[in-house]
Amino acid sequence: MNPPAPTTSAHTTSAPSGGHAPEAQAPLVRVRGLEVAYDTTPVLHGVDVDLRPGEVVALLGASGSGKSTLMRSLTGFAPITAGTAEVAGRDVTAARGRELRALRADVGQVFQQFNLTPRLSVLTNVLAGSLHRSAASTWFGQFPAAERKRALELLDRVGIAHKAMAPARSLSGGQQQRVAIARALMQRPRVILADEPVASLDPRLADSVLGLLRGIAQEDGIPVLVSLHVLDLAVAHSDWIVGLRDGRVLLSGAPADLARTDLDALYSGKEDVDVDAL
Amino acid sequence: MSTLSDLDPRPRTAEPPRTGETLPPAERHRLERTVLWPRGRTLITLPLLIGVLWWSSKGAEFAPTELGEGMVNIGEYLSRLWPPDFSELGTIVRLLIETLQMAIVGTLLGGVLALLVAFAATATLAPRWVYYPARWTMNVIRSIPELVFALMFVSAVGLGPFAGILAMTLASIGSIGKVYAEAMESVDQGPLTALRSVGASPRQVIQFGVLPQAAPLLVSYTLLLFEGNVRGATIFGLVGAGGIGLELTTAMRMYDYGHLSAIVISIIVLVTVIDQCSALIRRRLT
Repeated sequence: MNPPAPTTSAHTTSAPSGGHAPEAQAPLVRVRGLEVAYDTTPVLHGVDVDLRPGEVVALLGASGSGKSTLMRSLTGFAPITAGTAEVAGRDVTAARGRELRALRADVGQVFQQFNLTPRLSVLTNVLAGSLHRSAASTWFGQFPAAERKRALELLDRVGIAHKAMAPARSLSGGQQQRVAIARALMQRPRVILADEPVASLDPRLADSVLGLLRGIAQEDGIPVLVSLHVLDLAVAHSDWIVGLRDGRVLLSGAPADLARTDLDALYSGKEDVDVDAL
Repeated sequence: MSTLSDLDPRPRTAEPPRTGETLPPAERHRLERTVLWPRGRTLITLPLLIGVLWWSSKGAEFAPTELGEGMVNIGEYLSRLWPPDFSELGTIVRLLIETLQMAIVGTLLGGVLALLVAFAATATLAPRWVYYPARWTMNVIRSIPELVFALMFVSAVGLGPFAGILAMTLASIGSIGKVYAEAMESVDQGPLTALRSVGASPRQVIQFGVLPQAAPLLVSYTLLLFEGNVRGATIFGLVGAGGIGLELTTAMRMYDYGHLSAIVISIIVLVTVIDQCSALIRRRLT
């Protein structure tokens, strides 16, 4: 089969091919002409990306292509110099202080190194996702009963409830990432950003973690933006692929519509990437 | 779906990707040898270190020969300490308990205050304008000897263990505050990033991210501080700030060697027991 040539613009108008998101639904993340620069070094150049409810969008690109910077910029952790970024109806460029914290609370984040507090119990790590709304009681390390109930339900959902009282550090990598996903869900997020969530996991666990994220997107309607290095996983678990190279969107399209050679071009000429990951 | 080998049409070889930069042949040859001869930097550093040691020994009148000649006197002094006289064991135990109590209160009070100052002195938590004054304050406190604080508090609150406790508390801020701050700086930043990204407040980031990670180190350092404070409390008596130190000084002045020996042995027993207990706790923590 000869797949059609990829679109050269970002995912702005067409709905994903997965069929999980109705065409008419407005994007929950809307990025237009985004430019980000650290000091005077530009990292992103005019990036456009949309995330609609229920879809998984995979970000592909070599190390240094700007994937993490794009993710960081959506939660105000990277300096936006031009363009617009709206997340769940909030303008990221204008958010400061309390408004920025409210925006971050709307965005569930999943990290490559899981970022759990290792000595705290699995349950407390999940409860940490509710910190933004349980301020007063947390002075003494207490959380409302309703939050505890929800945290345990989420642990049931990710299949780690039996480890609720174990310290997070005693879990395997795959289990820790599941706890991190439960923590993200605990926030009641409108959007989930997962920055290389499976880079530290073996292929079987990677597949299962991405399957979990896909399930969340489909069942809860929460869109997931996930950066990946393994093309195979992106094709299997996403509704749309955005390819970045040197801070620019090089290609954008549904996995079925993208040619292998075009995806491969994202990494060509890059000596410092893990070629085997392709 | 395509297989992984389909996805990458490029030939696979065992060769790592070339970056265009190679190791100079001379350096490669040097690294391949069994014995690595020291290079310029080491050859300069070594004589420099020896020079500094010689200069310091000369300035400090370090004379091992004199120590050899004086060994006889040391032997004679030690022989006078035998046999220990435990006839006043009741007094010794009472004063040791007082010393221990001073150390407990001084360590807890000092530890809590030091932790508060340490938050301000942690580069990853505090803004620059708070960080520098906090570090500077701790440096100033650290450079003043504890006995000076003890004298100061004796003149403020009078003779007795209370002055000793205050001195110990203040000195703890300087000594342990810096160590606490460095323990908190060294925690993994990943969990803190995650907490900030869920919208946690700075207090919540400390409570759920920094403290749980730093806890074993903080407790371990606090136990070391406690051990140090027990030993330290034995000399506060020199300036009348409570504890067993006064009894020790008096015995020395009165040439009451049997009593002095009994006090020293009792202190050794107490310090050893505390060291063993805290080592046990530290082992369980890590």
